[in-house]
Amino acid sequence: MSQRPSARIWLTLIYIFLIIFSVITLIPFFWMFSASLKENTDFFSSLFLPTGDGFLGIAWDRLTLKHFYNLFTEIGIGQAVLNSIFLASSTSVLATICSAMGGYALSKYQFGARTFITTMVLSALIIPGPLLLAPGYQLLYNLGLLNSYAGLILPHLAPAFGVFLFRQAMLNAVPGELLESARIDGAGEIRIFFTMVIPIVRPMIGAYLIITFLASWNNFITPQIVLQSPEKLPLAVAINNLKGVYAEDYGMLMAGTVISVAPMLILFLLMQKEFISGLTSGAVKG
Amino acid sequence: MKRFRTTPIWAPWFFMGPFLFVFLTFTTYPLFQSIVLAVQQTFGPEYSAFVGLENFRFLLSDPRFWKALKNTAFFASGSICIQLPIALALAMLLNRPSLKGRALFRLVFFAPSLIGMVFVGMIFRLIFEKRTGLLNVVLHSIFPAFDLEFPWLDTYLMPALILAALWMHAGFYMVFFLAALQNVSKDQLEAASIDGAGPWQRFRHVILPAIAPVASFICLLSIIGSFQLFELPYVLLDNTGGPQDRGLTIVMYLYETGFEIGDLGYASAIGWVLALILVGLATIQRTFSRKEEQ
Amino acid sequence: MHFFRTLFERIPPGLAVILFLAIFSGSVLSFKKMTELEDLEMWTFSRNHLPAYKPFIKKWNKEHPDQQFSLSLLNGRALERRLLSGFFSGTPVADAVETVMRTAHHSFAGPIDAIGFRDLTDRLKEEGLMDEINGPSFGPWTNRGRIFGIPHDVHPVLLAYRSDIVEDAGIDVSQIETWDDYFRIMKPLMKDNDGDGRPDRYLINVWDTIGGYLLLLMEQADGQLFDEEGNATIDSPINIKTMATMITWIAGPNRVGLEMKSNYASDYQLMLDGTIVGFFMPDWLIGKLRQNVPGLAGKLKVMPLPAWTPGGRRTAVTGGSVLGFPKASPNFEIAWKLGKQLYLSEELAVNLFETASIITPVKRFWDNPIFDQPEPFLSGQAVGRMLIEQAPDVPTRTSSPYLDLATKHLVNAAGNIKQYAIRNNKFTVEELLPETKRQMQIAQKHVETQMYRNVFLNKPQ
Repeated sequence: MSQRPSARIWLTLIYIFLIIFSVITLIPFFWMFSASLKENTDFFSSLFLPTGDGFLGIAWDRLTLKHFYNLFTEIGIGQAVLNSIFLASSTSVLATICSAMGGYALSKYQFGARTFITTMVLSALIIPGPLLLAPGYQLLYNLGLLNSYAGLILPHLAPAFGVFLFRQAMLNAVPGELLESARIDGAGEIRIFFTMVIPIVRPMIGAYLIITFLASWNNFITPQIVLQSPEKLPLAVAINNLKGVYAEDYGMLMAGTVISVAPMLILFLLMQKEFISGLTSGAVKG
Repeated sequence: MKRFRTTPIWAPWFFMGPFLFVFLTFTTYPLFQSIVLAVQQTFGPEYSAFVGLENFRFLLSDPRFWKALKNTAFFASGSICIQLPIALALAMLLNRPSLKGRALFRLVFFAPSLIGMVFVGMIFRLIFEKRTGLLNVVLHSIFPAFDLEFPWLDTYLMPALILAALWMHAGFYMVFFLAALQNVSKDQLEAASIDGAGPWQRFRHVILPAIAPVASFICLLSIIGSFQLFELPYVLLDNTGGPQDRGLTIVMYLYETGFEIGDLGYASAIGWVLALILVGLATIQRTFSRKEEQ
Repeated sequence: MHFFRTLFERIPPGLAVILFLAIFSGSVLSFKKMTELEDLEMWTFSRNHLPAYKPFIKKWNKEHPDQQFSLSLLNGRALERRLLSGFFSGTPVADAVETVMRTAHHSFAGPIDAIGFRDLTDRLKEEGLMDEINGPSFGPWTNRGRIFGIPHDVHPVLLAYRSDIVEDAGIDVSQIETWDDYFRIMKPLMKDNDGDGRPDRYLINVWDTIGGYLLLLMEQADGQLFDEEGNATIDSPINIKTMATMITWIAGPNRVGLEMKSNYASDYQLMLDGTIVGFFMPDWLIGKLRQNVPGLAGKLKVMPLPAWTPGGRRTAVTGGSVLGFPKASPNFEIAWKLGKQLYLSEELAVNLFETASIITPVKRFWDNPIFDQPEPFLSGQAVGRMLIEQAPDVPTRTSSPYLDLATKHLVNAAGNIKQYAIRNNKFTVEELLPETKRQMQIAQKHVETQMYRNVFLNKPQ
């Protein structure tokens, strides 16, 4: 289909606009990366990478990895990275399995309390998280779970939102006849769930896993309140603390931010589809 | 339908078990406890005293709470009025098959929403700085009249927060709109064109009605998210409410009273007010979208 | 095993990867935990103190093999959260904690038995520390008549100025006695040479958003936000006058102030550019700048703060830290011994001055010749002696848990008065006094309401 000249101009304008907007979107990323590679003396003398005689007019020899080196050797950021990985992965795996189980029960079993529980799940969706912060803290205190990972993971074990999502997904996607015939073949309930139901909702599992992983990685307020020992803190809290002690060391602060942000960006590039479908379905919590 | 074999009674309870346990322990119980706390004054979880409705009475006259509410509402309305139109515009620009590199653009616009608020705060703390920050330096070099000392983190804190949130969320909401735009019927669009409808009329009468349900859902999402704003200003302002509490939000005030001062009672009262506001807004949104459907 | 085989065949790959991560990181973490040391703990919030403390702790550990201490550096706010949470909930805290005023004040906001620090009043008296340590230093740690920590510092404040710029302009700072003198003599530096319509230089880092410096100047003028009983005195006549004067510094044709907190890299840039010519210099900032902004070496000098009135106080105070001993620690005697040795050691006092420029509050060390040594960073001035000369004059700091809140309201008031001044074009002290009084009374009222609300401190003390 040939285009009219005015349409072509229109399209060019759109491209220009989109490219400008993309550049604006990418600048903070680029700025962060270049700041993490600069000596502190170069920080204010150049906006991005230090200018000089090198390739592309950039003084490549003035770039340094020392901020990253210091973070791992002196500050011990590796511990925080490990904590973040542990918290995010264990929370997301457990939350996904428990949510899928809950959603399965609500969508595929007939039992007396089903309507009641479904209403409960729906109403739980509108409770704002901050309301539960103070009483939740008191509860964890009474249970002796402050400053423990259990105190962070347990409350997020089976979010109502996940249960609701899986219920919706399984209502239509999992055919009741299939389950019936499996039961006739003598398969146990648990086996049916793991070997038949889970594979059917596999895309949903991937998507939900990814968003809970991301949410947990980026979670700040709960670990800030629940955890106290520095060696237990995840990146989000550790980086904010770094800012207090090393306020004047911009290079190091940005290097720390790069360490926290880069894994999510890489993960995103690898699993775009799951990310986008997961986040858009998971938006209610966003 | 007749079933050949009944499922065992324990099965649904087994699968519901983890959810029920967590829900009852970590949602229902704290929810009731928050009512109990709201009529107390505490010093940490250990020391408490019954004060009746004093917390709510004080809340109504507490200038810092009103400031926080004002800030939060400003941020929420600013976010909606700016983020959503831009997100929709981006989605409409991207929603044409003739455009090359759609996937790449979508990827780029979406990327910032992966970053946690804390990390966004870390980056923008330095970008918004007076005199040395990226934003002021760039604006000053493009428009020499632009003041290098433009106080983003002081007088213009709320616009700064809205800007940072725009960077974070525009691409995120764009993805929703992109999905919604798939519901717009091509036949109707063509019919409208043939009838001589201009681009604006086509947008107003064909596109907008088709995406209205998604748009109103996104509005609600954006309101809920905005009203719970915490990390971004908390990090941007070095863990304070900022000068003259210009960046103090409801959740920041809740955090400060509950976890810095130790008064979990007053924090619960603030939490309840926040919950009531959100429920109120959600009800309004639902009534509106119902009306629109009729 | 058929069940498990099908399970593994059908498990989504993403789940498998994250499951692996969970198991892997979990096992690394649990292995790490087993290798935890059983030392006694000391926390500090200050990176500046570390170079002086580390050798001391090392020596202690050599001399006391069964009472090993480990020293950890925590972000101030993180330390506060952890400490207060520990006080509230009994999660373990350190045996000795070095912390700032804000944290101590927050711990004073409840019933007296809820204060998590050990009451040291009798110990300090019995062992003579009350006489050895500079009196005003105890202020922030004394609540309801009891003392809850050993003061770490005096923190006298001097005025730093870019000596190269000032001397090039032929200005003689020895003429300066009061703030009026200072601004009058320095004013010629504020010309706009680059033609951007604003002065190239500013004379002092006072700004309505920096509550700490507003407070510092009020205290220098003998104004206090709280009296000795802990009652709010925000709207006292002297405070109103000081506040109105400060507003004339930051708004209108006579603006001399610039927002600069001496904290971030961007602030250091303002110092290097000479955009800020003079700024408040507490003792600890000298060490911090020497370490972080070597480019300023030889370009800075200090002088006593200009006074509010002729013959008035030539110094002020800002910040302050304390060594406290959490009640929950079972090792109080050991920690006390360490703390006393640490804070009362002449070697450490010397070391702390050398590494961080911090003046000891222990009066008998003030004769040490180290304080007379010229400081190359400050063009060879004997800054130690200058600080010590001012030390007995530093204003008393309050221990009110409401200081933080009062400072916030002070910033509110300052911002409102500044806006009022700009809107109504009123830029003299006399013109501003009525509005200042009104704003300070509002601040006073808000703080009082909060104080009387607190059921744990029936009578505000």
